[in-house]
Amino acid sequence: MEFYIQILINGLMTGSYYGLAAMGLTLIFGVIKVINFAHGSMLMVGMFTAYWIVKLTGWHPYAALILVVPMLFIFGYALQGIVIKPILVSQRDVREPTEVIIVTTGVWYILDNLALMVFGAEYRVVPTSLSGQIMLVGDYIIQTPLLYGFITTMVTAGLLMWFLKYTKMGMSIRAASLDRDAASLMGINQYRVYNIAFGIGAAIAGIVGCVLIPFYYVFPTVGVVFDVKCFIIVVLGGLGSIPGALIGGLIVGLIESVFPMFMTSTWTELIVYVVFLAVLFVMPAGLFGEKRDW
Amino acid sequence: MNSGSTKRKTIDTMLKLALAVFVFTIPVWLSSPTYLQILIMLFLFAYLTTTWNLVGGFAGVLPLGHSAYVGIGAYTSTVLFISLGVSPWIGMWAGALIAAVVGVFIGIPTLKLRGAYFALSTMAFGEGIRVLVENTMQLGPFTINGPRGISVPLLPGNNLLAYQFTSKVPYYYIILLMLCVVIFITWWFSRTRPGYYLAAGGEEPEAAQALGVNVARYKVLAMGISCFLTALGGTFLAQLTLYFYPKQILGLDFSFELAFIALIGGRGTIAGPVVGALLLRPVSELTRIYLSSTLPGLHLVIFGLVLILVMLFQPRGLVEPLERAYNWFLDRISGERKEVKS
Repeated sequence: MEFYIQILINGLMTGSYYGLAAMGLTLIFGVIKVINFAHGSMLMVGMFTAYWIVKLTGWHPYAALILVVPMLFIFGYALQGIVIKPILVSQRDVREPTEVIIVTTGVWYILDNLALMVFGAEYRVVPTSLSGQIMLVGDYIIQTPLLYGFITTMVTAGLLMWFLKYTKMGMSIRAASLDRDAASLMGINQYRVYNIAFGIGAAIAGIVGCVLIPFYYVFPTVGVVFDVKCFIIVVLGGLGSIPGALIGGLIVGLIESVFPMFMTSTWTELIVYVVFLAVLFVMPAGLFGEKRDW
Repeated sequence: MNSGSTKRKTIDTMLKLALAVFVFTIPVWLSSPTYLQILIMLFLFAYLTTTWNLVGGFAGVLPLGHSAYVGIGAYTSTVLFISLGVSPWIGMWAGALIAAVVGVFIGIPTLKLRGAYFALSTMAFGEGIRVLVENTMQLGPFTINGPRGISVPLLPGNNLLAYQFTSKVPYYYIILLMLCVVIFITWWFSRTRPGYYLAAGGEEPEAAQALGVNVARYKVLAMGISCFLTALGGTFLAQLTLYFYPKQILGLDFSFELAFIALIGGRGTIAGPVVGALLLRPVSELTRIYLSSTLPGLHLVIFGLVLILVMLFQPRGLVEPLERAYNWFLDRISGERKEVKS
C-alpha cells in the first residue's frame, strides 16, 4: 500500500511540472486560438536562460526567477510583436489562422537549431543547492526540487487565474479571447493583448526553466520532449483552460508513473497517445474546454 | 490578356516539352552518383509531398503525421520480403492497402476535428506508430527489430524482381515515373466531382455543407488515396536506402518536412510540391554534406527562415509568383505584351 502511495506521490509531482509547462501554451491558445508550435522552444530558451544565470552567478535556482521571468517576458512579447503579429494582421478575418501554426513551427526550427549551433548537442547539468535533495514525510520519500516545483506550479496557477479574473489587463485578455472584434470596439488594443499573453506564456516557460534545472538536463532539443506532451496535456484539459492544463498535466504524470508498474516503461508513451486520441474522439473539447473551439 | 494565341501556345508547349526531355535525359550526362542521389531524393520528396497535398492541400487540413504511412509502406514490403520472400513489387501494394485502411480508420474520427485539433491528433498518431514500432521486436512470424531498424537483405548485382539495382539510374527513372503518375492523379482528381467537393469543403466548409456536400466523406476518401500513394513512396525509400529505422522513417521531422515543402511551394496547387522540393531539398542536402560538421542544424534554420518569410510575404506559396513570371515571360517572347498595352 505504502508503495502505491509513493508511486502516486511521484506521479503527482512529475505531473505538476508538466502542467506548469503546458500552462503558457493553453493561455496563448485561449487568446489567439492557435496552437503555438514554438512552445517547446520557448521552454528550451527558458531552461538555457536559467541554466546560464545559475551557472554564472551560482545563485539558488529560485532566486534566478527574478532575472529569468522578465527576460523571458520580453522575449515572448518581442516574438509575438515581430514575427507572429504580421500574420495575425493579414489573417484578421480568419478565426483560426493555420498560417500561425506554420510560422511558429518555423520559429521552433530556428530556435532549436540556433541553440544547437551555439551551445552544441551535449546534455548540460548545473549543480545547485537543491540538486539531489530528498526529504522524508512520514514513511514517504519526496524529492525536494520536485516538491518545490509542485508548490511553484500551484502558486503560478493561482496567480495566473487571479490575474485573469481581477486585473484590468486580465479582463482585456479574457475579452479578446471571447470575441476579438467586440473587444476592439470596446477600446482594447487586441495586438497589445496578444503581445502580453505571449509574454506571460514565455515568462511561465522561464519559471519552468528554473523549476527544472535542479533535476533535469538542458540540451537544444529539450523542447521536443515537452512539446508533444504539452499538446496532449492542453487538449486533455481543454484548450484555453488553466485548471485544465493543470489537471491534464497531473493525469499524464500519473499515467507515466503508474503504468510502468504493469508493463515495460517504454510502452507508457503509447498509453499517453492512446488516452489522448480516445479523449479527442469521445469529447473533443477536453475536460474543461469550450465546445465551440473544436 | 489574350493567352489563346497560337504562337504563345506553341512556345509554351515547346518549353514544357524541352523541360520534360531535359529531365528524362539527366542520367545520360550526369554520372555522379552523389548528385543523382540528390535528384532522386528530390523527386521522392516531391512525390510524397504531392500525395500529402491531396489531404493537406485540397482538403484544407494540416496532417502532421504522414511519416506513419511512409513507414507502413517501407516496413510492410521489407518484412514480407525478408520473411516470405515476396517481391517488394508485390509487397508495396500490400503496404499501400494497409496504409489506406489505417488512414481511413484514423481519418473518420479525426477529419471531423477543427484545424489545430486535427494537426495535433495526426501528430499524436504518427508518434504513437513510432513508439509502437520501437517497442516491437517480433510480430508473429515477422521480425520488426524495434529501434534498431531493419536492413533489406542485399542481393548480388541488379535484381529487377527484388527491386534492387547497383546503379542509381533505375531508381531515378522509377521515382520520376511515380512522380509523373501521382501528378497526373492529382490533376485528374482536381477536375472530378470529389475534387471540387473537397476544394469547396476546404475553403468554405459551412457553405459546402449547406449545399448538400458531405465534406467529411470526401475528406476521408482523399485521406485513403493519399495514404495509399504515400506508402508506395515508403517502399521506394526502403529499396533505395536498404536500411531504415523508426526515428528516421517514422519521425516527426519527416512529417514536418513534407508539410513544409508543400506550404512553401504552394498548398493545394499541382506544381507546388514539386517547386517546394526543388527549392528546399538541395538546400538541405548540400548543407548536410558540406556544413554538417561545422554548423549542424544550419539547413533547418534556413528552412525555418524560408518558411516564415514565405508565410509573411507569399502565404499562398511560391508557385503563384513563379507562374506570374512565367506568363509574363511567355507574353514577352511571343510579342503579345505590346498588343495588350496598346
